[in-house]
Amino acid sequence: MNIQDNYLKNKKNIFFSENKDIATHREKLINIFENDRFDKKNNESLKNLNLKNFIDFKYKYLIPEETSVINNNHENSYSIVSVNGQCSSFKDDKIEITKILDEDYNDFSKNDTIENNDHFVNLNSLFLNSGFKIVIKKNNNIKIKISNIITDDDLTIFQKNNYICEEGSSLDLIEEYENKNNSTSNILNVIKLEKNSQLNHFLIQDNSPNHNLIITTHSSCKKDSTYTQKVYNFSEGYVRNFHYTELIEANSEADLQGIFFLKDNNTSNNKTFVKHLAEDCKSNQVYKGILNDRSKATYFSNTHVDKVAQKTEGYQLSKGILLSDNASYFSKPELKIYADDVKCSHGSTIGPIDENAIFYLRSRGMSKIAATKILISSFINEELDSIDNEQMSEIIQKKLVRYLSKVK
Amino acid sequence: MFLEIKDLSVKIENKNILKSLNLNINKGEVHAIMGPNGSGKSTLANVLAGKEDYEILNGRINFKDNDLFDLNIEERAQEGMFLAFQYPVEIPGVNITPFLHSAINSKRKRMNEEEIDNLSFAKLLKSKANDLGINIDMLKRSVNTGFSGGEKKRYEILQMSILNPDLSILDETDSGLDIDALKIVTDGVNKLKTKDNSFLIITHYQKLLDYIKPDYVHVMVNGSIVKSGGSEIADEIEKDGFQKFQ
Repeated sequence: MNIQDNYLKNKKNIFFSENKDIATHREKLINIFENDRFDKKNNESLKNLNLKNFIDFKYKYLIPEETSVINNNHENSYSIVSVNGQCSSFKDDKIEITKILDEDYNDFSKNDTIENNDHFVNLNSLFLNSGFKIVIKKNNNIKIKISNIITDDDLTIFQKNNYICEEGSSLDLIEEYENKNNSTSNILNVIKLEKNSQLNHFLIQDNSPNHNLIITTHSSCKKDSTYTQKVYNFSEGYVRNFHYTELIEANSEADLQGIFFLKDNNTSNNKTFVKHLAEDCKSNQVYKGILNDRSKATYFSNTHVDKVAQKTEGYQLSKGILLSDNASYFSKPELKIYADDVKCSHGSTIGPIDENAIFYLRSRGMSKIAATKILISSFINEELDSIDNEQMSEIIQKKLVRYLSKVK
Repeated sequence: MFLEIKDLSVKIENKNILKSLNLNINKGEVHAIMGPNGSGKSTLANVLAGKEDYEILNGRINFKDNDLFDLNIEERAQEGMFLAFQYPVEIPGVNITPFLHSAINSKRKRMNEEEIDNLSFAKLLKSKANDLGINIDMLKRSVNTGFSGGEKKRYEILQMSILNPDLSILDETDSGLDIDALKIVTDGVNKLKTKDNSFLIITHYQKLLDYIKPDYVHVMVNGSIVKSGGSEIADEIEKDGFQKFQ
């Protein structure tokens, strides 16, 4: 079944189908698919992807009435279980959680940064069936942990979440994805950081081989705000982590970090697109991959510095360790600079584990496997040391030990 | 015999490096190998330590009644062989203290000795570091990372003193050291010398041998030992160079 037929067949179950503006926007998206399809040759972000799973998906509109739990564990700490992309409404004097509204959809659809290039975001807009909106109220410091659960096989979740950090607020957001169902999650997080706000966003991905996870984040940062994203991908299923960020007002900052641990036949596609649109802004991107067996990864990074964005600092770095001759990692960092007073750099190194270092460690009595494991851990040591959230740190260490136990 | 190298020929990338080399070292002896650049000294050190880039064409090596070629790199280390590297490898992110702790315990395990606990190891490390004038703060850093040339060599000797090997191979440990650092490093080596362990010192220069007195000096040229004798050979080389041995 093609995308248009799938859409028409399921239209009544898709969010906001009655809204005329949204229907018109969706017609436009269908036209994009009709004209462009998934052009693998000219769209690098589709590299290494078995598209069949994503185009011929079963659209099963099954969103059971599960209870999403919200606990105010401590004064500023909340825990949410989002079931099949849904979350119950909640409100207190610090945060407000609601279902996603058509006005949120419309707001995002006006942003054309992504639309012409990213078919998975377009699929998300077209088949939207879940999502929520979280607002952190002015001057509050909040911690939220979200466990994302899928309850059934053959479920395809198209989820759009909006996060708004109001002026002076701060949010530590931990998202866990640990799904074992034969299902696909296509999630778009739209994040707005108001003046002087901060969001530390951790994503832990650890899905089984039959779960596909496509996460796209779009963040926009106003004056003096900082968005930090740290992604740890231990999944055995396909994962796509794309991030688009716009530094729209002065002195805002985006710090993007991703580490992926791949094995078997797994694939991970990663992309960052950072737009510096104001002066004195800073972006930093560090992506590291460890690839074993026949696994594959891509990392595309694009930093765009507008002509008004003087005093920009923009840094990109990607590194990869290939533990097998059959693993591959394709990395392409790009800088486009239109301002003349900037500090920018990019770099990429990919290769096997350093044989001289292995020899050195073994010459002190360490076994080859122990030396290999210690070098893998050291490769990401700086990033793991920088995790200042104790709960996160423990979770990641445990998963790292599990990954290393499979390294032979 | 502690170490017996018999008729050893080795090549790398189609180039013959060691050619029918013979060398015997007994327990408690200090041997020095001197030779010009490219004579195969470091190849010998690497082959002894087990580096896998080389192809053994002929010969055998016995170490403490073991056929050395039956032991892999770590087994040789655990049996008591230690190579102090000419160019110690920088390993960012691997902290010195747990690395050395793990190394000493892997050796103890092979020897069926009780593993050393954290506290005892910390005390041992601190006392050995003090002996070598190594600042305790340095032990919090990553292996060789950001070290000066002198610090790297001192750290090699610290590892040697912790692991207390039966045979220590010092591959041009004097290179890149100023006179003060050379004295600290050689003092460290001299403190480790006992009647039960042996040293193989590889160097270009006689200077190192002013500080560590060898029992035997061998001249290595073009992959073979062409002359062996006492420390007078080092004086000869100092005076006339390697020309006359080639």
